[in-house]
Amino acid sequence: MTIKELKEMINLMQEHGLVELEIEKNGFKIRLKKGSAGTIVQEELTPAAVTKSEKHSQTEAQHQIIEEAGVSVVRSPMVGTFYASPAPDSDPYVNRGQEVKSGDVLCIIEAMKLMNEIKTDVSGKVVDVLVENGQPVEFDQPLFKIQKL
Amino acid sequence: MFHKILIANRGEIAIRVIRACRDLGIRTVAVYSKADRDSLHVRLADEAICIGEAPSSESYLNIPSIISAAEIADVDAIHPGYGFLSENAHFAEICESCQIKFIGPKPESVRLAGDKSIAKETVKKAKVPTIPGSKTIVENQAEALRIAKKFGYPVIIKARAGGGGKGMKVAHNDGKLVNAFLTAQSEAEAAFGDRGVYIEKYLNEPRHIEFQILADQHGNVVHLGARDCSIQRRHQKLIEESPAPGLSKILFKKMGEAAVRAARAFQYENAGTIEFLVDSEERFYFIEMNTRLQVEHPVTEMVTGIDLVKEQIRIAAGHKLGYNQDSVRFNGAAIECRINAEDPERNFMPSPGKIETLILPGGPNVRVDTHVYPGYVIPPYYDSMLAKIIAHGKDRNEAIHIMLRALKETVFGPIKTTVSLHERILNRPRFRQGKVTTHFIETILASPSGIESVEERKAG
Repeated sequence: MTIKELKEMINLMQEHGLVELEIEKNGFKIRLKKGSAGTIVQEELTPAAVTKSEKHSQTEAQHQIIEEAGVSVVRSPMVGTFYASPAPDSDPYVNRGQEVKSGDVLCIIEAMKLMNEIKTDVSGKVVDVLVENGQPVEFDQPLFKIQKL
Repeated sequence: MFHKILIANRGEIAIRVIRACRDLGIRTVAVYSKADRDSLHVRLADEAICIGEAPSSESYLNIPSIISAAEIADVDAIHPGYGFLSENAHFAEICESCQIKFIGPKPESVRLAGDKSIAKETVKKAKVPTIPGSKTIVENQAEALRIAKKFGYPVIIKARAGGGGKGMKVAHNDGKLVNAFLTAQSEAEAAFGDRGVYIEKYLNEPRHIEFQILADQHGNVVHLGARDCSIQRRHQKLIEESPAPGLSKILFKKMGEAAVRAARAFQYENAGTIEFLVDSEERFYFIEMNTRLQVEHPVTEMVTGIDLVKEQIRIAAGHKLGYNQDSVRFNGAAIECRINAEDPERNFMPSPGKIETLILPGGPNVRVDTHVYPGYVIPPYYDSMLAKIIAHGKDRNEAIHIMLRALKETVFGPIKTTVSLHERILNRPRFRQGKVTTHFIETILASPSGIESVEERKAG
C-alpha cells in the first residue's frame, strides 16, 4: 500500500460519494471510513501479514523489498555475477520503464564461468533495476521490479 | 597463509571454523540457506552469501552454488566442516580445479577411505588388523547367507558408501539375515545413492575407540591420542571422551602406531580419524577412516592443547606440523556431551521450535560449542544437535563431576533435549567405572528413570 494508492482510494471515495470502503488483498486489509471530521483510515493486519513483516525486519537491508500490489520482484535463482548486457560494450537487455513480456531475457548471471540468461515470468513494465552491472549476487537476491500489466 | 576462507557448512561447526580463522587473522565467508538467514554463523562471519532454499540438497550440498559463492567472494580456500561435502571427493576435485584449496585431504585419499571395502584392503597391506568379512560387496541373498555362515553369526551388514553410523544392520541368524540384507541395501541406496553393502563379523560387546590423526603436506604424521565413543544410540554418538578409559599403555601404543600406518597407507594429509573396535579380549580391528574433522574433536583439543581447526588451516596452507609424536602431550581427561533437540521420553522424537530461555554452563574447565541463542528458532531441515558441552578435568573422575555440574546449569527452554539423559548416563556405576561398550545405551533406556525430570525442575 503506497501513499499514492491511498490517496487514489480517498479521491475515489470523494468522487463517488462513498462513506465506507474496505479492501482485502494478500493478507493486508484496509478500511476507509468517512466521518464528519474527514476520512478515517483504519489498517488491520491479518496474522499472515504480521508474520511477513516480522520476517522482513530480520532480513538484510538489500533484501528489504516493500511488497507492492501488482509489482513482481524478480529474484536471482543462483549465486553469481550480474551482467546487465549480453556483452561489455552492448546495450543492456532492459532499461527502467521498458516493457517486457513473459520469456524475455532480463539479464545474465555468470556462475562458474557459465553465462545464464535470466528470463522474466511476467509481462509488464520494468519499474526498477536493483543491482548494478558486475555486482555479485546471492541466491534469492532481488534484481528487478516489474509492474504487471 | 590464506587471506579469505569460505565455510561450506552451518551450525556450531561453522562457528568453530570462523573462530579459528579469526584467531589467524583470516577473513571469513559464510554460506547459508534461506532457512538459516538468522543463523549465528551468518552473523559472525565477515561476509555471508545466500546459496539456496532450505533443503540441504539445494543449499549446503549444492556444489555449483557453493563454488559460485567462493568465486564471487574471491576466497583462497574452503573449509567443509563435517558432514555435507566434507567427504565428497568430487567436491574436493572441483575446488582443486578452481584453484581453491580444499581444507582437508587430497581427493584420492577421500576416495580410498570412502569405499569401506577398499579401505579395509588398503590398511591390511600396512599390517593393520581388520575384522573378518566379505572382501567385496555382497551381490545377493545367497551370497550373504554363505558369507554369514563362513564367518559365523552374529554379522553386521554395512553400506560401502556409508558413514556416520548410517546404513548398518545386524543379523543373528539366517532367518533375520535376508531381511536385514535387503533393508540395508535399500537404505544405502536412499541415503548414499549406492546400494553396495558388505558383511562383517559382528563383535561381541565391542568398544569404539578412535585415534585422531594430523598429517602435513611434508610427510609428517602424528596421532593425538584416543577417543572412546562407545556411548551411542542407533550408531549415533552421544558422549565421547579422551583418553579411552582403561586402555593399557601397550595397547595405546600399538593402536596409535597402527593408526599412523593406516593414515600413511591412505597418503593422508590434514586432519582425520582412524576408527577401531576393541573386543573383550583386547584385540583391536580397523573399521574405517573418517577423512574430515569430527564432531568430537574438542575432547582431543582439551587434552592435547592443540587447536585442530587451526592446524587444519596451517597444514592446508603448506606449513609443517612443527612437532613429532614424542612432543605430543596428553593432559588430564575430557568428556563431551552432545545435546540434541530430541525428547528421550518419547523415543527421541525431534523437538524443533523456538528457544525462549537459554542458560549455558560456564566456569572453570567447561567449554560450550553451540550456534543457538535466545529467540533462535531451530529449523526442521537439518540435524538436531543444539550444543556440545565439554568438560576437562585432571582425571576422568573430575571431568565427570565437572560435566555433571555443567549439565545441571544447562537450560534450553522450552525445547525437549537430551540433557537429562546425559545426567543419567554419567551417574551410572558402569559408566563411572569406565566399563562401557556400545550396548550400554540400550540398557539405560530399557530401565525406568526414577529420577525426577531435572529439566522441568530447572525451568521452573
